[in-house]
Amino acid sequence: MKIRKLPQKKGQLKIQQMAFMLIAVTLFFVLVGMFFLTIQVSKIRKTAEVLEEKNALLLVTKLANSPEFSCDGSFRTGNCIDADKVMALKNNAKKYEDFWGVSNIQIRKIYPAGIKECNIGNYPNCDIIKIYDGEITEEYSNFVSLCRKESFEGSSYNKCELGRLMVSYG
Amino acid sequence: MIIKSKKGLEAQFAWLFAIIVGIFILVLTFFIVARITQTEQVALDASTAKEIGVLLNPLETGFETAKTTSIILPSETRIYNKCNNEEYFGRQIIKLSQKSFNKWTDTNLDVGFSNKYIFSDEFEEGKKFFIFSKPFEFPFKISDLIYLSSSDKKYCFDDAPKEISEELENLNQENIFMEECPENSIKVCFTETGCDVDVLYEQKYAIKNSERLDFETDSLMYAAIFSDSEVYECQVKRLMQRGEQLALLYKDKAEITAGKGCGGNLISDLTFLNGVFDEVKDSGDLRFVEGSVNDMQSKNKLCRLW
Repeated sequence: MKIRKLPQKKGQLKIQQMAFMLIAVTLFFVLVGMFFLTIQVSKIRKTAEVLEEKNALLLVTKLANSPEFSCDGSFRTGNCIDADKVMALKNNAKKYEDFWGVSNIQIRKIYPAGIKECNIGNYPNCDIIKIYDGEITEEYSNFVSLCRKESFEGSSYNKCELGRLMVSYG
Repeated sequence: MIIKSKKGLEAQFAWLFAIIVGIFILVLTFFIVARITQTEQVALDASTAKEIGVLLNPLETGFETAKTTSIILPSETRIYNKCNNEEYFGRQIIKLSQKSFNKWTDTNLDVGFSNKYIFSDEFEEGKKFFIFSKPFEFPFKISDLIYLSSSDKKYCFDDAPKEISEELENLNQENIFMEECPENSIKVCFTETGCDVDVLYEQKYAIKNSERLDFETDSLMYAAIFSDSEVYECQVKRLMQRGEQLALLYKDKAEITAGKGCGGNLISDLTFLNGVFDEVKDSGDLRFVEGSVNDMQSKNKLCRLW
């Protein structure tokens, strides 16, 4: 009886061995696959991040020329940002979400510096024009001339101040 | 005997197991390698398309009239130019397909930009591509238009008006010729007809592949020359969409500055222009906008809004 049972147990052992081996092989491949997948995904994420950063870097240097920001011919200084137009843009910001492919755009007055955020009620007695809501995280910035129309004794004149255009891509 | 045959069976089983698992491993490896290569190719195509879009940012012009640059890609590439008019601004879509093992990769990933307007044929093929840009003002600057062409395509401008030929000569773009046109070049005629592109400059339209493409300003004329009619019409519509939103921005700006004695006279015209832009369905409708645009240009003199 005992001699006869031994090969049966050995067979069972072999089957168990095979089952474990199959599970181990499958697990090994799943783990290798997951490892590769993680590397691939992180590589793609990194590329996307680098491209976003590049976009922000190149955009900040040229955003002032975009028709939504630029002075065009309304100020004699030429290469500047039209603060009045930017305020109009702020009021229509919803339509421009994702238009430039960056997460936020802000313009800060450098002198006199302050932290008062601009809205249609306090403009132009304010310091920061935020195009979109939210804070600036990872950023690139550029110095710009920020111009607006002012009036004195019934006639309008141009007033330009030094500002900083900040583009966030985070 | 029984024990011997069982051992044989065990040995056979071990071999069978090794063969099955071996085949499984090999098939799986080939499958994974093929998938990874495919995914890598798609990712490369998509990232290159995005990179091209990002590299177009410096083409945003200030006061310069037109400027040119080139892109050289490591392998033979097709840049597909598509466009849609969804939402407020529509989207410029770039799709790339690169030659790999003598076959064009099939990429389903489209990379989109809302602030770019690229004019080219349905696809441009080659390793080196020329890009030049020119602002489109109607009546205010709406955007910089980007003209993309492969270095393999040669354009020959015949009898172009003086200002056009001067501008093109100043560009120094290798695939644009004004005299001594190379063979197989795309002939752009301004006085003759029956060329690849006939431009009726005074009448403000071009005929390309028997299709009429109406234009306003020189920037749209170049657009009609360099692009396929479907791309052209879609981009014109997108430009009008942006113009519509810009008209609203200028109207809001005029409301802000009106109290300071500036731009108040244009508020109602800008509201009207916004509506006119909205009515443009194709390039043929541009002539209906022309009147309002000229009218506004003459009103925007004293305290200029743009």
